[in-house]
Amino acid sequence: MTATRALLEVRGLTKRYLGVTAVDDVAFEVEAGAVVGLIGPNGSGKSTIVDCLSGFQPADEGRWLLDGHELTGRPGHLIARAGLTRTFQTVRAYDELTLLDNLRVAAQESDGVGWLQALGRGARLRAAEAASAARGRDLLATVGLAEYAAAPAAILSYGQRKLLAIAAAMMARPKLVVLDEPVAGVNPTMIRRVEQVIHQLNAEGVTLVIVEHNVDFIMSLCRRVIVLVAGRKIADGPPSLIRSDPRVLAAYLGPARAAELGHGHP
Amino acid sequence: MTPGWLRALLVLLGIAALFAVPRLTGNEYVLALGVSFATFSVLSGGLNLVYGYTGLLSFAQVGFFGIGGYTAALLVTEGGWPLWAGAASGGMLAALVGLVIGYSSLRLSRHAFAIVSLSFAFLCMIVARDWVSLTRGAMGIPGLPVPVLDLPGLPWRLSRPADFYYLLMGFAVIAQAVIYVVVTSRLGRAMQAVKLNEALAQSQGIDPLRYKLLALALSALLAGIVGGFFVFYLTIVDPSIFDFYYTETMLIMVIIWGPGSFWGVLGASAVLAALPDLLRFTTDLRMVLYGAVLIAAMLVFPGGVGGWLRRRHLRRWRRPSLAAP
Repeated sequence: MTATRALLEVRGLTKRYLGVTAVDDVAFEVEAGAVVGLIGPNGSGKSTIVDCLSGFQPADEGRWLLDGHELTGRPGHLIARAGLTRTFQTVRAYDELTLLDNLRVAAQESDGVGWLQALGRGARLRAAEAASAARGRDLLATVGLAEYAAAPAAILSYGQRKLLAIAAAMMARPKLVVLDEPVAGVNPTMIRRVEQVIHQLNAEGVTLVIVEHNVDFIMSLCRRVIVLVAGRKIADGPPSLIRSDPRVLAAYLGPARAAELGHGHP
Repeated sequence: MTPGWLRALLVLLGIAALFAVPRLTGNEYVLALGVSFATFSVLSGGLNLVYGYTGLLSFAQVGFFGIGGYTAALLVTEGGWPLWAGAASGGMLAALVGLVIGYSSLRLSRHAFAIVSLSFAFLCMIVARDWVSLTRGAMGIPGLPVPVLDLPGLPWRLSRPADFYYLLMGFAVIAQAVIYVVVTSRLGRAMQAVKLNEALAQSQGIDPLRYKLLALALSALLAGIVGGFFVFYLTIVDPSIFDFYYTETMLIMVIIWGPGSFWGVLGASAVLAALPDLLRFTTDLRMVLYGAVLIAAMLVFPGGVGGWLRRRHLRRWRRPSLAAP
């Protein structure tokens, strides 16, 4: 183990709905520069964890820190400004804004230009907007949508909207990005595109947590995978270990089938 | 797209033409239309900021308008304040009230806000009618004096209809300029983001409540000031200043061309300010007609006529190459 402090620390995260514990005492850390996968069957609490960490749902218990700063219980917009951004499972975009404006909006709360400066349209605002337009164009090129920069987001296909959402989550130079099912419902060609984009962004130093249903996608993309079952973390390690972990096999295949393969519970 | 300088020139010519009207004609009917246009353009411009840009359906604008009217009337007649100070105070009080009802209801939901804003407008009328010691009840405050604006050097007595035309048109130009600067700035872009997808906006660091309150307070400020001027033009303020007629007219002005379109709403305000007089023969049916137009517009053109044109325009981008992935 390295002595460096983890970028994201989650401790004892718990969320209950009317007596059902959706997330049960989950703890994990994410090292800076990592790409960590978070998988689990339906209803295992993956998306609830994303919603809690990003401030979209209040957690009942637990703490989480980004780069040593407490994020517990803060509202979503402050968590985003602190450097933890996210995408949504149900893909979201500003349909009536152009692709470039979709991205520029995503950066404007973190460039330090206040309301009066925004209205005054002085040099500082122009510099900040020029920088965000340049970054927006770069990111559109990264996700392969540069030619539609001036088109409204309404024209995009489902897969293209997922790519736009990833680009938007990168705009404000976050420390950590959580992608909620980036390839769910996306065709195989576009899945490879998303994979390339994630590799490229990670190479540029972005830390990612990827929540997915598509196990193959996660296993090939991440060097570390966390498995959730019924709100509890049951495994955490490299894909090779996860694949042969009896608890994971039992959760995905059922105990009987796992036992047939020789990995069953006693 | 027209180049920027040409646009600026057209706008300046338009303003010059509006200010030339009283010199060309002393016709009180024409001047009254101008006053009506100026007043409604401020109200609908504010509603456009709140509804068209930020996505909050507000029935409260008429309340801000009337609060401005009553405040200015009382401060000038009882307190001996100059008109500009009375109207400015009316605007500030309206903005404060807007912040209070906005802050209390917007933390719940947009729907809660719509209901609260409607209740607020009715409450204003009830207070105006029943708090007799302050507002003098249903009779209102008639016979408002001819106001004097203390411009540097020369006091301006607003005794002729043309004076009110200049005052209200001048304020409307300022108000529209303020609205234009806001909606074309990145604050306007953030307001649109809040309207189009609030959760996404929040995930990008935008505080939706702050932008909603900004839009609401600014629209209330402008509506309150214009209300303060308008009642002196009428020479009376009574509970009918809170009439639903104003709300319906504002809504139709914002909705018919396209909520969220600065020039569209301004144009609709000009046409609809003239329309009541074109429809004079149907005075009783006018509001029925407005309601019918509003419903028809919602059914046929949900985003307004302008929204329909924009959607047609989208097809330009939908080339076959895009459909593939």
